Amino acid sequence: MIHALRLTAAALALGALAHFPALAADGKPATLVAATTPAAPAAAAKVPAAPAAASAAPAPNAATLDGRVQDIKSDVIKLNRDLLVLEEELLFPASTQVALFVSMDVGKMFELDSVQIKLDDKVVSSYLYTPLEVQALHRGGVQRLYLGNLKTGEHELVAYFTGKGPHDRDYKRGATVKFDKGTEPKYIELRIKDLQQKLQPEFDVKVWQ
Amino acid sequence: MSRSFSFTPLARRVAVAAAIVVGASLAIGGAAAAEPPASHEIKAPHYGDTLFHFFQDHHFTAITSLMVSQHFERVTEHGDEAEILRGGMLLSYGLHREAGAIFAQLIEKGASPKVRDRAWCYLAKIRYQRGVLAEAEEALAHVENNLPPGLEEERVLLRATLLMARADYAGAATSLAKVDAKTPGARYVRYNLGVALIRSGDVAGGTTVLDEIGKAGAENEEYRSLRDRANVALGFAALGSEQPEQARVYLERVRLKSMQASKALLGFGWAADAMKDPKLALVPWIELAQREISDSAALEAKIAVPYAYAELGAYGQSLDGYNEAIDAFERESKGLDESIAAVRSGQLVNALIERNPGDEMGWFQRLDDLPDLPHAGHLVPVLAQHEFQEAFKNYRDLLFLSRNLDEWRDKLGVFQDMLATRRKAYAERLPQVRARASEISLAAMRKRRDQVAADITAGEAQTDGVAFASAKQLELMALVRNAQAALDKAKPSAETDAARERLRLASGVLTWNVAHDYSDRVWEAKKDLTTIDATIAEAQQRDAALALAQRDEPARFERFGKRITALTPQLDVLSPKVASLTREQQAVVQEIAVAQLTQQKERLAIYATQARFAVAQLYDRANIKKDADHAAARQ
Repeated sequence: MIHALRLTAAALALGALAHFPALAADGKPATLVAATTPAAPAAAAKVPAAPAAASAAPAPNAATLDGRVQDIKSDVIKLNRDLLVLEEELLFPASTQVALFVSMDVGKMFELDSVQIKLDDKVVSSYLYTPLEVQALHRGGVQRLYLGNLKTGEHELVAYFTGKGPHDRDYKRGATVKFDKGTEPKYIELRIKDLQQKLQPEFDVKVWQ
Repeated sequence: MSRSFSFTPLARRVAVAAAIVVGASLAIGGAAAAEPPASHEIKAPHYGDTLFHFFQDHHFTAITSLMVSQHFERVTEHGDEAEILRGGMLLSYGLHREAGAIFAQLIEKGASPKVRDRAWCYLAKIRYQRGVLAEAEEALAHVENNLPPGLEEERVLLRATLLMARADYAGAATSLAKVDAKTPGARYVRYNLGVALIRSGDVAGGTTVLDEIGKAGAENEEYRSLRDRANVALGFAALGSEQPEQARVYLERVRLKSMQASKALLGFGWAADAMKDPKLALVPWIELAQREISDSAALEAKIAVPYAYAELGAYGQSLDGYNEAIDAFERESKGLDESIAAVRSGQLVNALIERNPGDEMGWFQRLDDLPDLPHAGHLVPVLAQHEFQEAFKNYRDLLFLSRNLDEWRDKLGVFQDMLATRRKAYAERLPQVRARASEISLAAMRKRRDQVAADITAGEAQTDGVAFASAKQLELMALVRNAQAALDKAKPSAETDAARERLRLASGVLTWNVAHDYSDRVWEAKKDLTTIDATIAEAQQRDAALALAQRDEPARFERFGKRITALTPQLDVLSPKVASLTREQQAVVQEIAVAQLTQQKERLAIYATQARFAVAQLYDRANIKKDADHAAARQ
């Protein structure tokens, strides 16, 4: 996963090392080629002047295609932020907003398959996890599983976790919490923990203040 | 002997060039982008949500959701940490300017040493990527000792890389000694150091470094591939230094079924040739010549084999070999023309997108999966190019942006409809609800409540509890009064005396019960009054809220409407820009591919020319021999 992350996340890494002075833009150790073969026609055409680092990584600017692509990526990211803010304010106003999160602390005792959430006896979310999502939870990610609206007053949340428990046995557990919804947004975190003394998973609920 | 064939040095040069071609992904494992510290306590669930997307490489969602959470001030507990993460993710998209501004701001505002060090480290990377190496070194110099282990390793590797850039190889080697040589980044940087040393003329130093990698254990395919590359580089460096025996030792280490095998086989043959043993050279070359011709090493083997036959004096076989090679090169050249046409028609890009659709912007991981096109083998060197991969990544990102903008256009339409529906509901339904509320009349309700309160007060003042008596007790009291009246009218007798006594007893019990229940009933009555007060207050609150909604909601809808109206033109501006850039980027991707394929064609042409020249030389030689034979016969 770490390597995959590096491959995926690090345009930086690629950029940095691909522009490494020992390598041409396509990864050829150009001068080594030149050193062994001073006039290789096919290869020589590709040999950039060393050090490549200074010339191979120009700063993007509006004039270059790459610069314009970077600019538009930046513009779309900012526009997305504005649109997402609008969407949230329109569909999930703070006064009625409730967000449910799922997290996993260690999680060695439990292999998560799915979660079902009932709010006031009504199923609001049933979610089947992919291995990548479970891995992201293991690494400390917290999934926002549900975003919805609730009126002020007392509500009951029931969460059912399904998966494999210790000794690879099918495991289904529930966690319940009653909470008061005020006029502020309500954030509730469903936590999967390992109970080392009992060698069992534990499921609890944290209501964020 | 035909040692004077002009083919030899040129082919060998090309062979060396081809063999040293190490894949573009060589340096990928060196550094990660934004990576949160290994142990991170989540102090705000929305920050954890960003990490959840980040860990799945959904960087676009991670960045935008983080920015939304920052807007709503939901991640203030992770303020600087979140900024570092955002800067790192933007950097991984190549958005240097934005990322640089974030890191500079963190430094300027005097963030904690931990955050400041990370910001300096990332700034150094940005400057390195931009090619301003002195400034990159200067930024690195600001880093103290507060980096997390992963980033600290990156710092050392970057420092080594910068030192190498200014030819301070000894400094780079010293710097590298500080990190575990087995980490992925260290392995790549050491490889590059080895190559750089050889470049600088320190063949012995470079060989030592590369030899360590070439002999090191490799626990996965990535490292085994790097080891193969190191051995190929070593082999060809040894060949360049006229050490063919040593070259064969290095090249023998390369796995036969690896990406580097063809280059190693080719070099292995050239080493044998340099040892004046063309027969030995034939073994790897014949094997290589049977491989996929689009492999540049296999291509060269096609003419290396007849060259070796000629060296051995087997001119007939040599001639056949050259003629076969010429035919193969012509077929291949036509194939390349078809590949170029396919690329220009957009088939390559479409096929690659089909195989790498990608839900998010960012890196694609399956580019080694060749598209289903005729002569797909030609595309291997094309796809391996860093330049091509970067260009294709941008192209794919632009397609993602285009989809993203289309989705938002649809959503904004839905939002408009939703607002219209809500406006209508408020305009039509709210007055009805308020009318019903006024029918019930909160004022009348309040009046009745006040009456009840007054009754309770009066009842308390009377202290006899009658005001709080139950209906049954009141009924019994009426019966007692009626019985008393009847008895008062009756003539005195023993019976009436007994009845009077019973009535007195019953009346006494009733008075006792009423008095006994008094305090409880007063409490109950007051409790009920409190409930009535609360209910009336809630009703008043709701009525006020409805009144407020009736007044404010239209204005709120108006504001939302204006925001939607303001955002729509931005979509209208960006969409055609993205479309236009997508077309431009596609052209760039195709041109890079065509340029690579054209180079392959040029290489083929050179090989074909060499083969034809060799054929001509063989015919000349045969003619000279024939003439000599005739002359001898005449004598």
